[in-house]
Amino acid sequence: MATLRRLREVPRHLLVCEKSNFGHDKSRHRHLVETHYHNYRVSFLIPECGILSKELKNLVMETGPYYFVKNLPLHELITHEFINTFVKKGSCYALTYHTNIDEDNTVALLPNGKLILSLDKDTYEETGLQGRPSQYSGRKIMKFIVSIDLMDLSLNLDSKKYERVSWSFKEKKPLKFDFLLAWHHTGAEESRMMSYFSSYGIQERQPRVALSTASELQCPVLRSGELGGAPGAACSAPELLDWLGAVFSNAQLNNEPNNFVSTYCCPQPSTVVAKAYLCTITGFIVPEKIRLLLEQLCRYFDEPKLAPWVTLSVQGFADSPVSWRENEHGFRKGGEHLYNFVIFNNQDYWLQMAVGANDDCPP
Amino acid sequence: TSRFRRAKQEPNVNIPGVSRAQGVASAGELRALAESCKERDSGRRQVDAALPLDILTYEEKTLSAILRICSSGLVKLWSSLTLLGSYKGKKCAFRVIQVSPFLLALSGNSRELVLD
Repeated sequence: MATLRRLREVPRHLLVCEKSNFGHDKSRHRHLVETHYHNYRVSFLIPECGILSKELKNLVMETGPYYFVKNLPLHELITHEFINTFVKKGSCYALTYHTNIDEDNTVALLPNGKLILSLDKDTYEETGLQGRPSQYSGRKIMKFIVSIDLMDLSLNLDSKKYERVSWSFKEKKPLKFDFLLAWHHTGAEESRMMSYFSSYGIQERQPRVALSTASELQCPVLRSGELGGAPGAACSAPELLDWLGAVFSNAQLNNEPNNFVSTYCCPQPSTVVAKAYLCTITGFIVPEKIRLLLEQLCRYFDEPKLAPWVTLSVQGFADSPVSWRENEHGFRKGGEHLYNFVIFNNQDYWLQMAVGANDDCPP
Repeated sequence: TSRFRRAKQEPNVNIPGVSRAQGVASAGELRALAESCKERDSGRRQVDAALPLDILTYEEKTLSAILRICSSGLVKLWSSLTLLGSYKGKKCAFRVIQVSPFLLALSGNSRELVLD
């Protein structure tokens, strides 16, 4: 009976909504954007807007590049040269491509120099490295997490620690993966990644951009001070998040309650805007570029605009081993970890962070 | 008043098999199909079958849809769709691609990023 009950249970999820103002000293928006490392999809919506400004358009077109390299041996990411060239000089991000976090071995590199390996039991034992069981193990431990601090290793390359890791990756259990890579740095060395991994056939990619306008769009009425909504006067943050999902999924927003097919409708109260601009960028997008987009969207209201608010949503890679910072992330039923900003014309903002069952509470 | 608890689930369902048959022509047919398979699987308890279900989107080109069900009905809907083998006498299969309580999460699927 207990098994049946457990099978019928729906895994828990968490939605954290908070509000603040971009001008506040203690506003955490920068930290939360910068510590969400592996971003797959960034989209924004601007009501009452038919054409994108030049600055925004440029930013949207410059969210890349990112890189794709196949069969890269893991030991290449711990060499002295790699650490000095990329990890120490800017923010280097890496994530294994087409590895499912709940089934396969997955590796990620964070910009603070931490190399995170999420390994199945056999691989973990074969590498001979020190790790810990996954937080989301059931009775049987299926996954182990190994965290290697490259900054710490590079301080002393003759150390026993470095020798052990090097031996493990080169001889004991040489692992190879297809990787997504990105490197954010100040400086003009644009194709450094390309030349460094040229022997592995590295490819440069640009994120895909989809731009569209929606006409006669029903938008919820919001009040920046009322995160939970106000009956009859403003919608709540969770309602806004649902509505945003419906818009980006092209769902109908004005179904009647007795409609046979769907009863979903835009939360009330709502207004109809003549047009709205939607933009979606997909790829391997670094937080630094997202921060620039966020800042530019804040500046949208420097001049008076009809729009009362704009939104910026970011979705993480479902198969990343981390969500925010080094918080372990698991897939369970959906692997979602996403956040959404609602930027108001008075520089107030709402921030909603959503995670699934195999995740810690967002920071 | 909201008919669903806050923890509502929104599975995204792909039905490629039906394209080989006559195909589900509209969202309305898909809704009827989903209701009938729930009825069938709940046996004699017809009252169980009456779970509020919404077809939020339906794309004929890709034969994929986004369904919305309350969290207490998720397992029933998911298992019913998975076990459905034929529609109007023709063979078909449902494949659930994504499940999430957040509709926004269904507008993008990082597992669908294709680079090679």
